[in-house]
Amino acid sequence: MSSTTHTRLLALLLTVISLTIFGIKVFKYNYPLAPGAQTTTWDFEIYLDFNTANQPVRIETFIPAAGETRRVSQEQYYNGAFGLRLESDADAGRKAIWTYRYPDDRKVLRYRARLESETQSSPLPPEMHDSIKRGAPDELSDLERQAFIVWSSDMRRRSADNESLAELVLQEIFVEKDADEVDALLPNLPPPLDRLTLAAEVLQSQGIRARVANGIYLDEARRRTEIQHWLEYRVDGEDKRYFPGADPKEFFTIWYGTEEMIRADGVFDFDPQISIQPIEAAANDVVRRAAREDRTPVELFSFDRLPVTTQLVYQVLITIPAGIVLLVFMRQFIGIETLGTFMPILIGIAFRETALLNGLILFTMLVGLGLAMRFYLEKLRLLLVPRLAVVLIFIVICMAVIAQVFNSANMRMGLSISLFPMVILTMTIERMSIMWEEYSPTDAIKAGAGSLLVASLAYLVMTNTHIEYILFNFPELLLVLMAACLLMGKYTGMRLSEVWRFRELAGTDGAGK
Amino acid sequence: MIRTWLALRRAGVLGINERNLRLINDFNPRKLMRLVDDKTQTKSLANAAGIQTPELYGIIRAPSEMRKLEKLLDHPDGCVIKPANGSQGNGIQVLLGPMRGGWRRSNGQRALLEDLKFHVNNILSGMYSLAGLPDFAMIEYRVKFDDVFDPISFGGVPDIRIIVLRGIPFVAMVRLPTAESDGKANLHKGGVGVGLDLVTGRTKHGMQNGKITDIHPDTANPLANVSVPHWDDMLLMAAKAYDVTGLGYLGADIVLDKGKGPMLLELNARPGLAIQVANRMGIRPLMEAALVADTEGLDAEGRVALAKTLYRRFVPEPAPA
Repeated sequence: MSSTTHTRLLALLLTVISLTIFGIKVFKYNYPLAPGAQTTTWDFEIYLDFNTANQPVRIETFIPAAGETRRVSQEQYYNGAFGLRLESDADAGRKAIWTYRYPDDRKVLRYRARLESETQSSPLPPEMHDSIKRGAPDELSDLERQAFIVWSSDMRRRSADNESLAELVLQEIFVEKDADEVDALLPNLPPPLDRLTLAAEVLQSQGIRARVANGIYLDEARRRTEIQHWLEYRVDGEDKRYFPGADPKEFFTIWYGTEEMIRADGVFDFDPQISIQPIEAAANDVVRRAAREDRTPVELFSFDRLPVTTQLVYQVLITIPAGIVLLVFMRQFIGIETLGTFMPILIGIAFRETALLNGLILFTMLVGLGLAMRFYLEKLRLLLVPRLAVVLIFIVICMAVIAQVFNSANMRMGLSISLFPMVILTMTIERMSIMWEEYSPTDAIKAGAGSLLVASLAYLVMTNTHIEYILFNFPELLLVLMAACLLMGKYTGMRLSEVWRFRELAGTDGAGK
Repeated sequence: MIRTWLALRRAGVLGINERNLRLINDFNPRKLMRLVDDKTQTKSLANAAGIQTPELYGIIRAPSEMRKLEKLLDHPDGCVIKPANGSQGNGIQVLLGPMRGGWRRSNGQRALLEDLKFHVNNILSGMYSLAGLPDFAMIEYRVKFDDVFDPISFGGVPDIRIIVLRGIPFVAMVRLPTAESDGKANLHKGGVGVGLDLVTGRTKHGMQNGKITDIHPDTANPLANVSVPHWDDMLLMAAKAYDVTGLGYLGADIVLDKGKGPMLLELNARPGLAIQVANRMGIRPLMEAALVADTEGLDAEGRVALAKTLYRRFVPEPAPA
């Protein structure tokens, strides 16, 4: 088997393996091919601060529960000496119960998790699909039951179908607040729970699945956020939510029913806080994937199981191959001269710290200064290694000065410079000056510009959110990139730059003249 | 652009990718390439096989040997100081002979012993070597160039490059210095490359900076129809270079001494492709023929004969002047 056939077969094999895994993920497990549109990820914390008096303490709180439609990840419990028990109730939700028999002194309990926000279009949990029994709630007195039935059948009469019935009921209860019938039926609960509960009961009695949901609105970072209540119901197979007051853009459902979220026994100075904080966009998709509870065999080929900080590192690392494929293409097919083989990729990674335009300016400025220094040193006729060292020190001084100048001019650009890899700069300067001498200044500047061009393109590829998302969520596609490089490694055709270089020969025939 | 690309393909022009993959990767194992990077090693290999090279006066391997320098430089005809691992002709110092307590440089200026010691020190520190690694300085015979190229060169060192594939010389050119190239014969510094007919050793067309030219830019003399003396000896030297190094694809750089005839200056394991422009032809057809030619049992002479037959099959004899 010739090495070319071998290479092609290997490339084919890698592509097939990779696309198979990719296909399974996309078609069988419905991995999304693009980052989710509206939802965002939030840090959620319940902070319970209280005093105890040497008597048994029991604190119950509802906590977010992951489900088919909800994503909760990285749950952490700070229990102190308390015992922790988790309890799940299919109707109400999940509870954390902390207990301690003889505490004294001030105590703090915490629960933290990352939540993916829900929106109006998020589906309701599957239990909302079950059919229900009709009729008035059991706990009513006969008189109340009578009134309930009268009012709800009145609603029914005035509506055309289930959908208009639901709308009418909500209208009567929440908008036309002066109806006496409604006031008479309201259960003894704080608003808006009373009206929500009534609405849920009326809808249920008419065969519409409905319940009171409790949770938080995710609008902005808050140290103390309020518990909100709303109604979720399902009409004719359609999931709906009704929010008393303005509709929130994003929210998260924690529990159902009319129970209080937190109940504490045996404590005083009880100060529960619920805080929320949005997580920056870059971390978003990571967490979204991490939050999936349903593990599939193909997830062996993803980074979901790693801690989020590690995942974020990989999110950067995994885009480098995309930049490298670009570099190989630019060199083998276009024929752009660069300084050093992978130098442009390193420069491109450095641009991540500075953003593209700032990076280009800083890089050109520093390389220019370094080259000037290098040529001045030429006059002093120094030996190689000490000369390199002088250039390096000079670069550090330049960087320090630039940082100072920009800082006092109040420009953020100056601060990012300290992260700009210095060794890459020094190596670039040395290579460029060698090229300057051995070939010509034109060649050196051409190679420098070529490097910057490739670095900029690589930067754009490596920071493209779509490429980042695809590669991070489908790391098996790296095999396709590898296959592409394998095939490019066997490309024997002419480079674009050579078409220009040999253009004079275009008219000749193979035998010469 | 695509049309040019196709035309070049049809013209059999070889690109860098193909050279790297089909010639260098396949024929030049890395450990053999080391042999030609170090010019002292090339020289001793060549001498052992009876290939003439400029006589080596001595090597300075460390600053502690600097005492030897003055004695090594003591030649009435001058000498050349060069880095053993240099590339592109960098770091070469040509001394024409003694001059008022120092030595006359090729540009006519005087060099003092101190200057030359500094230069040797730079060589030793690796300033001119391929990877910046510490290097040796060689002091060798200064070639007295044959005047055959005088009408078509401007100062400096004309040399002849013959590319050899599997021991078969298959394309050649002469490289001429110009004012622009500052006395160096390097094509990318502005030297003129002139294609040679491989059978007769007569010059054909020229090129400078990638463009075809028929006259020398400085002397304005026509480049064509200069016969290179000792041509068959040069072909033989190039063919033998394959036997001593084992490199399947190599470029032999040969200079012509007025008294001593052709001398092998250095070997190159990655010869470039500009030779195609100088010869005004793509070399792929010739390359393919040389790749499949049967060299079983042929010595260097046999391969030179084979080379001439192959060459004529693709390139017709030029009209006599």
